[in-house]
Amino acid sequence: MVAGAGCITPVTVEKVSGTAGSVSGARPSVAGAILGRWVFRLPIIFMILFFALPMALTFVFSVFERTMFWMEPGFTFFAYQNFVTSARLENFLSSMGYSSIAVLVSFVLGFPIAVFLRKSVPQVAQHRVVLLFILPFMVSEIIRVFALRPVLQRNGLVNSTLMELGLIDEPITALIYTHTGVVIGEVMSFLPFIVFSGFLAMEAVPKYIFEVCDDLGANTYRRFVDIIVPLAAPGIFAGCVFIFVNGIGVALIPNILGGPGAVNAGLIATQAITALDFPLAMAVSAIMMTTLMVLLYIGHKLFDLTKILSPVNQ
Amino acid sequence: MSETPVAAVEVRNLAKHYGSVVALKSVDLIIAAGEYFVLLGPSGGGKTTLLRTIGGFNRPTHGQVLLHGQDVGHLPPNHRSTSMVFQSYALFPHMTVMGNVGYGLKIAGMPKSEIRDKSAAALELVGLSGLAERKPHQLSGGQQQRVQLARAMVLDRDILLLDEPLAALDAQLRKDMCLELKHLQEKVGITFIHVTHNQEEAMTVADRIALIANGELVEYGAARDIYRAPKREFTASFVGENNLLKGVVSAAGNDNVTVEAGGGAVEVVNAGTDPSKGDAVALSIRSELVSMVAADAALEPPAGCSLSGTYLESVYLGLTTSHRIALPSGDEVVARVLSDNDSAPPQQGATVTLHWPKDAMRLHVN
Amino acid sequence: MLDEYANPWLHRLKWCYLLLIVVTLMSPVFYVIYISFNENGFGAAEYVFTIDWYFLIFSDSQMLNALKWTAALAFSTMVLAVPLALLAAKFYKKTEYKVMTVFLLLAPLFVAADILGSAMLVFFKNLNGVFTWLGEILGTTMMDSWFDLGFSTALIGLILYTIPYSFVVILITMGRYREEQTEAAMACGASAWRAFWDVEFPQIRAGVFSACSFTVILCFNEYTRTSLLKGGFDTFTTVLISQMLNEGMSEQSYAMSSFMSFIAIAIIGGIIIYTLIRAESLARIARAKAEPIMST
Repeated sequence: MVAGAGCITPVTVEKVSGTAGSVSGARPSVAGAILGRWVFRLPIIFMILFFALPMALTFVFSVFERTMFWMEPGFTFFAYQNFVTSARLENFLSSMGYSSIAVLVSFVLGFPIAVFLRKSVPQVAQHRVVLLFILPFMVSEIIRVFALRPVLQRNGLVNSTLMELGLIDEPITALIYTHTGVVIGEVMSFLPFIVFSGFLAMEAVPKYIFEVCDDLGANTYRRFVDIIVPLAAPGIFAGCVFIFVNGIGVALIPNILGGPGAVNAGLIATQAITALDFPLAMAVSAIMMTTLMVLLYIGHKLFDLTKILSPVNQ
Repeated sequence: MSETPVAAVEVRNLAKHYGSVVALKSVDLIIAAGEYFVLLGPSGGGKTTLLRTIGGFNRPTHGQVLLHGQDVGHLPPNHRSTSMVFQSYALFPHMTVMGNVGYGLKIAGMPKSEIRDKSAAALELVGLSGLAERKPHQLSGGQQQRVQLARAMVLDRDILLLDEPLAALDAQLRKDMCLELKHLQEKVGITFIHVTHNQEEAMTVADRIALIANGELVEYGAARDIYRAPKREFTASFVGENNLLKGVVSAAGNDNVTVEAGGGAVEVVNAGTDPSKGDAVALSIRSELVSMVAADAALEPPAGCSLSGTYLESVYLGLTTSHRIALPSGDEVVARVLSDNDSAPPQQGATVTLHWPKDAMRLHVN
Repeated sequence: MLDEYANPWLHRLKWCYLLLIVVTLMSPVFYVIYISFNENGFGAAEYVFTIDWYFLIFSDSQMLNALKWTAALAFSTMVLAVPLALLAAKFYKKTEYKVMTVFLLLAPLFVAADILGSAMLVFFKNLNGVFTWLGEILGTTMMDSWFDLGFSTALIGLILYTIPYSFVVILITMGRYREEQTEAAMACGASAWRAFWDVEFPQIRAGVFSACSFTVILCFNEYTRTSLLKGGFDTFTTVLISQMLNEGMSEQSYAMSSFMSFIAIAIIGGIIIYTLIRAESLARIARAKAEPIMST
């Protein structure tokens, strides 16, 4: 199509000469363009090289032969055999059970806070409250776990307070160096996470939903089960998976608060490293990675985890 | 009319694909220096893509963009002789109005005093002299768009791109700003290229309008021609309030074409499209050019310029009243009259005759 | 407000519950701080206020040395991880492979410290072997120490640990930024870099600075990955933990734990107070300027 015929008479433009300079301005250099493109890929390259690769290689190293102080290339399932046929498997499975309890307790205690925040707290205050929950998270996990000892001990804060109040006569000894101690430690360590992920997940539940529910006469329970949970499911799931895998992966908590038999995957791995049994440590890591992947896969099939990103994808 | 020596903007065979989605297919367009050009079309039709490609915000999949005869396809926006006004949200919220307007001059390395003078002049031009120290969030929507205008004009570029600049404003304000834009363009004399989906806005400001839909340039020409004599069926459906009838050519002569449509034979002027007998075609007519009379009225319209139908209802719209009539073919026709000239409407279901001046009916061949 | 008909006491009760949870989560830390000021230490019948235990930390040369290493690590991590997170967030905005990008950057959160640390340890030991072998072939010893356990490996471990937090914080701040502003800046003649620096950065600065402070706090507090990957030197936490493991909780370790908690509390508290004051002053300015605005 040619447009010349229909043109109106052009107004004289004196400014053309003025802009000519900017048009003929420097052509962006080819090197600059390439650099510009690759510099944004740096983080991805870094993560692949130093995160994805080491984690993937655990599968390879786990079938290497163990030597006196190190390992050598080979193909043996000895480490897995060692894991399955010893008490380790039993410990691993029971740590999964206790971790699940910690997930449940954290959810029950923490998720209502996320709902309350989104529903009834003014927008500007919401982020400050979230910061409050970041606070315990920013104090070293190990210090918080260690600090639970003087709190939960026989003569610790909890027992002495309860005895002074006259609620108990004898100190409760089950609070620490038991599986209960481990669950308490996990809840205290990871509860903020269910608040964060719940808070992000509640972004998927627009505020008017609450008004619609009130309008339709749905009670709190129905509202929670029929509306909030399905909408926030991807975020809730992510938070729960986080607590679960950290519950079975962080060695510190059973190490400091657990009693006999409180051994989780993290502890098995670090003990193997200390014993210079590297293939075993790698096998445990590989098992943990598999567990994580299976969980994420199931979660993705059930809830489409990419929905979690919708708040930042505008 | 003489051919412009060098067009301000020339677009050749321009296409833009996003993956498998084709936003723009092979568009050619010439925009003369100093004209107010409007890209009009439904949303998602590709008009914004075209504008952004001219501005350098999109890289074309193929084709060329020439500004003043120079191919600028390889240049990013900051190296082009265009400046742009965005739909909204595009003011820098952390800078004052003055800071926003002077930003481009600061980038160009102009001395501070000169920046202040030029920015003040640009603010004066858009009528915001008193608000230089405000922050954008303290301005109304209309004021914000004026600041954007000032920020773009202060650069003395000779092509101004406006991407739906009035879309976020309410109706009355939009009308006022339309006129202001038009006057501003006449005053400064640079090329304005304005994207909108609002035909009233387009009619108000445009010297010429290009209609863009489905990634194609459908038709373009002077605003008046687009309204009065749309060549394409799509234009007729989008601009103005037109009645569209599908039909089949039953006789094709040099001067006249007869089309079987709407349950009768309609005769139209052959405007050079030369259809052959049996072709499926479309007819269009503006609703204000259709007259309606009762079936028994003593009236002898010229042959081929009337149809009869069943009266449905009238819709009062203030200035005009629309009468809806069903044709035997199932098509529906609207006849629009000035409300003050309207007589008592017929009974619902009554048979009425519609007639029109012969040259009001247009033939569209696909 | 939504709850105009809700019972105000129920609302307050919910707030109380929320604060109770925060206090409970922090109670061990507060308790440790309380003990750290007692001259007689934990479990003593008598409480005598003192700050001697804190002087003891800073007169310990091993401790000061560890503090230096920790500061160096924290600073290096911040300088590398935050820009990487920023680049990643920019990349995320543009890329088609959003799920892959987010997965890669957030996955370290989902791998427990001990598991990640073990995997990295073995990876670096092997990598070091490969580079030493390569060096032998090429006839150079230059590459021998690249991935020897030490500062660089601990640094990589800490970057992996902190990058998800920075990424999320920056991405959320960027969510409020409108890309049109960058385009507008470019239409004004700014290059991509100037558009970022003049227009986008001032608007995401809060997020970037929060990411920096989080990174520093996290580095000061990290134990597991650092202790596995650090090689020869000691950091604040590794000294603390080895003391705790060897001698149990000593008075000095209470003071050290408290000291670290203070840093975190001070920074987070500072951010909260800063935003409160800022919100208040913004509201005041808005009120002061609330003169009638013309309709056009």
